[in-house]
Amino acid sequence: MVTLNKETRELSIKVVYYGPALSGKTTNLQALFQKIEPKVRGRLMTIDTKDDRTLFFDMMPVFFRTAAGIKVKLKLYTVPGQVMHESTRRIVLQGTDAVAFVADGRRSEAGTTLAYWNNMLRNLEANGLDPRTLPIVIQKNKMDLPDQRDDDFADLRQSANAPVVPAVAVRGEGVLETLHALLLVVYRDMEQRIGIGSRWGIGEREFLDAIFTHVDVRGSRVQAAGSAP
Amino acid sequence: MSLPPSVLQQQIPLGDLLELKSFTEVCQSFAELYRIGVKVFDAAGNKLVDMKVGNADFCGYIWQKPDGRSQCIATVQRVKGEAVPEEPNPTVFDCFSGCRYAVQPVLYEGDVIGRVVFGPFVPDDLVALPNTLTSISADFDERLAAGYMQKIRRVPRATAEKVLKHFAELVDVLVFTGHKNLLTARLHIEAVQESYRELHEKNAQLQEAFHALKELDRLKSNFLATMSHELRTPLTSVIGYSEMMLEGLGGPLTAEQREYLQIIMEKGESLLQLITSILDISKIEAGRVRLAMAEVDLAAVMRDAVSTVMPLARKKGLRLSWQPAPLPRILGDREKLRQCLINLVNNAVKFTPAGGAVSVEARSLPGERVALAVADTGIGIPSQHLPRVFDVFYQVDGSSTREFGGAGLGLAIVRSYVEAHGGEVSVESIVGKGTTFTMVLPVAGKPAAVAPQGGEAASGGAGALGVAAAPQGVPASPPSSAAAG
Repeated sequence: MVTLNKETRELSIKVVYYGPALSGKTTNLQALFQKIEPKVRGRLMTIDTKDDRTLFFDMMPVFFRTAAGIKVKLKLYTVPGQVMHESTRRIVLQGTDAVAFVADGRRSEAGTTLAYWNNMLRNLEANGLDPRTLPIVIQKNKMDLPDQRDDDFADLRQSANAPVVPAVAVRGEGVLETLHALLLVVYRDMEQRIGIGSRWGIGEREFLDAIFTHVDVRGSRVQAAGSAP
Repeated sequence: MSLPPSVLQQQIPLGDLLELKSFTEVCQSFAELYRIGVKVFDAAGNKLVDMKVGNADFCGYIWQKPDGRSQCIATVQRVKGEAVPEEPNPTVFDCFSGCRYAVQPVLYEGDVIGRVVFGPFVPDDLVALPNTLTSISADFDERLAAGYMQKIRRVPRATAEKVLKHFAELVDVLVFTGHKNLLTARLHIEAVQESYRELHEKNAQLQEAFHALKELDRLKSNFLATMSHELRTPLTSVIGYSEMMLEGLGGPLTAEQREYLQIIMEKGESLLQLITSILDISKIEAGRVRLAMAEVDLAAVMRDAVSTVMPLARKKGLRLSWQPAPLPRILGDREKLRQCLINLVNNAVKFTPAGGAVSVEARSLPGERVALAVADTGIGIPSQHLPRVFDVFYQVDGSSTREFGGAGLGLAIVRSYVEAHGGEVSVESIVGKGTTFTMVLPVAGKPAAVAPQGGEAASGGAGALGVAAAPQGVPASPPSSAAAG
């Protein structure tokens, strides 16, 4: 859950990249690792127990201060995609504030994508999270491949009104746009729940600028000022 | 449902991220290499490491003076607890003694999770002992203090900063590695616990479904037992009155009436056999069968069974024979054994075409056992059906157009009764050539607590077949019937 510590003026946000195996979750985090300035992020930690394959996920912290001096700690996680890692997925999803659902945009993957989406809904519910109110963005990844679906994930969006962001994560395209879109929904959610703008005086632009001024936005549609066109 | 809080949700103190024993060794070798003391504190101010180099005499001397002691304590408090900027750069604290401390925050994931304190060291620009030190007491011995200070390393500012940067990078790697190991280990356990919890939940659901099914099964058995009983009562009257009429008690009969009555009686008898079998199986399933144990002459049982089925065999044009052999008398329930043999012989007759032969043989086996075998030259049983022929209601040909009738109860009853005697029944068959069923029984008749349909004794509950070795007990077995289907 988003926590705003009044004494230390700290804001903690947990973001989980969810999706089927090989849909590009880790690729997203690796691209962000390359694009975000080292002084506002930690190392990309990959936990992979090779022998028994119980665990497999990535984690990267990003931390920055807003102009008003509020420290924002953003923790990005990926869940393991393989079916057998069900319990790890559920654990990583605990207390998440937002989900980037990374989906393979090809028609042939539609069945798997829907199955993982439903799996996510179940695991959110198991963690007491409501997919109808939780900030979620769908990344339509692998746009460079043929056989693209053109339904804008209508099957997924029946259960949660999530914006769709196109991407080719392996080339770094759409990765920042996805994070930007997600943080925008997160901001609006935080405004509703804790009044981040109205009570804490952190504007939407200020919040997004605080992070995106530390990001190499060249080649993306996210502008240096931190606002999407 | 909600999960217990994961390690991912917790703030982990510096002491848990480092393996303290080996970290202390690293600090020790570092302190020895640079000849500077090192102290490490976590965010709450707990001291994790304390390495002193060269300052023992100097600080010890100052500590002897009351003013020196109080100022020393104040300096230590500042160094340990005073806020430092959240940046990867050291903050310098000057000691009243002229020495100096450098404090480097331990930053991890944007948070200060502790601090490393270097010192005391002597700044290389210090020329003489400062007034703040020499004035702490009237009897302060400057020469002695200066001599002690010689043992503390003199460090140029640039060197101090380089050393600190190096150490901070080292700590960062150690903290990251420690964090990764801790997460791996703790999440591994959490994942296993979560999987276990999930399995446990599913098991409970299965258990519930299993109990519901068992209860339904019990109701079914009860229903069967009650219905069979209720059906038998009027049927006995049908057969009895037919018999009385055939004996002429109702007056003289025409040949046609006699023939009809005989058919009524015959069909009534076979219906009675079927109902009796159902009743037997219900009793077995409900665990209500008791064996009335007594000495049994197997030769007599064989003769009895063969003569019972003989009319049927003759009618079908089969040769039915039995070989008398010298056999020990065994301890068992005569009525149940007779029924087993009749069931097997009946089966053999049913599945053997005209012109074939059915033979009943017995022989002694080593280990105080006897075998009773019923062999036929019938149609045989395909091998894939053999493991299941003793199951209740099982039919090799289960189709609605099957050639041979039957309820699939006879062999199930045989197996239950034989196993209740502590024996076993087996089958061998070649399709088109014939089938041999063999019952092996212990001479001493060791009744075993056998579950109905074999092999579920461990599940407990009402399933166990109650068997009593009661030589003079009242046999609660079904009334003798000519044969079972």
